[in-house]
Amino acid sequence: MAESVVTGELNHEAEVNDRVMFGFWVYLMTDLLMFAVLFAVYAVLHGNTVGGPTGSELFSQPQALAETLILLTSSFTCGIGMIAARRGNKNQVLAWFTLTFLLGVAFLSLELLEFGELIHEGYTLSSNAFLSSFSVLVGTHGLHIISGLFWMFVTLLYILVRGLNRQLVRKLALLSLFWHFLDIVWIFIFTIVYLMAYV
Amino acid sequence: MSKLPDNTPTQPKAEHGTLASYVIGFILSLVFTAIPYYLVVTKTVTGNALLATILTFAVLQMAVQIFFFLHLGRGPKPLYNVAFFVSTVGIILVVVLGSIFIMDHLNYNIMMAPKATTTKLAQDEGIAQVGGEKTGACADIGTNHQVIVQNGQMKPLRVEAHLCDSLTFINQDAATLTIMFGSYAKPENYGGEIGVSVRSGRTKTITLNQLGTHAFHDHLHPGATSYFTVTKNNGVY
Repeated sequence: MAESVVTGELNHEAEVNDRVMFGFWVYLMTDLLMFAVLFAVYAVLHGNTVGGPTGSELFSQPQALAETLILLTSSFTCGIGMIAARRGNKNQVLAWFTLTFLLGVAFLSLELLEFGELIHEGYTLSSNAFLSSFSVLVGTHGLHIISGLFWMFVTLLYILVRGLNRQLVRKLALLSLFWHFLDIVWIFIFTIVYLMAYV
Repeated sequence: MSKLPDNTPTQPKAEHGTLASYVIGFILSLVFTAIPYYLVVTKTVTGNALLATILTFAVLQMAVQIFFFLHLGRGPKPLYNVAFFVSTVGIILVVVLGSIFIMDHLNYNIMMAPKATTTKLAQDEGIAQVGGEKTGACADIGTNHQVIVQNGQMKPLRVEAHLCDSLTFINQDAATLTIMFGSYAKPENYGGEIGVSVRSGRTKTITLNQLGTHAFHDHLHPGATSYFTVTKNNGVY
């Protein structure tokens, strides 16, 4: 009798999990569509520099590579953190996700540095259509990273205070989905914006 | 069997990744980043081949992320999330490729484009004549002339060139240089451009495809105005 109650509860839990994951997946796909539109705008407008410098004159290849490697590594540490979360190892979860958080901060700092440099040299969002579409595309990704970092910070605080429970593992699973998704978007920014500027 | 406490973590299921799958995914993603980066930096491959290669690696990279990190396709069946993903990719391809296709053709087919745009387009495409009118496009580039900017000073102040020669601006100052055509009081267009921008330590080359004497000045130091004179090159053009 007691056993069937437990199984029933677990089945219900799994069902809720699946539904929440699918709902979040739908959100990610709509977000992907928004990025697709921004990519389309960049693809159409990247040549409109009005005599100003083009991408190959503005972008630093090593910096873009560093940003990519940092984000790929953070995606990896986030995955390892998820394995620890499913095993219920609170300390490992805290360690791996703190590392992911720090890598995210490093990525964001490099990105802000790049934007700061461009603005310092007088190239802003309003300089020309190329820089507008570039800033909006890369900036939107950066805003997603900021919200992801905020989410990660709050979730880590919860785990620190309340310990690891099923609800928090589910939240971490959604967060890692979001983080891997941002990694995928960045791969296309790296290829289409930073690498293709030099082709 | 006792009832499970509420804070028991969920058990690992088949759809979640193992350490091995994450490590393999991570190594593959590093390789798929390194190869296109190396190809772009060394220019081993160029042009459309390079473009196709780096785009292929981006797609491979995405596949790695999807299978090894997101574990798409390993959840409970039926796979609604996979179906949703595939249809999203379909919409993305229509939006992105459609936009590029339409805008590319729009630029070329537009009838009422400003003269500067038509001239620029004809020069980019090497079209020497449109409707009986010479566009100024150069089939071959002649001698290269240089203007060096150092400490806000341009050297030389006057350049003598033939049609279809090239002129290179070299910026040796720390600040970005903005060269505008015409004088400060009376800006003009040259070859469909109002000016060129040269970053610190970089160069920029223009093709001299318009005859006559033209002034140009540093937008930030309008005091110094220089000139270049373009003359005909004995019927080459």
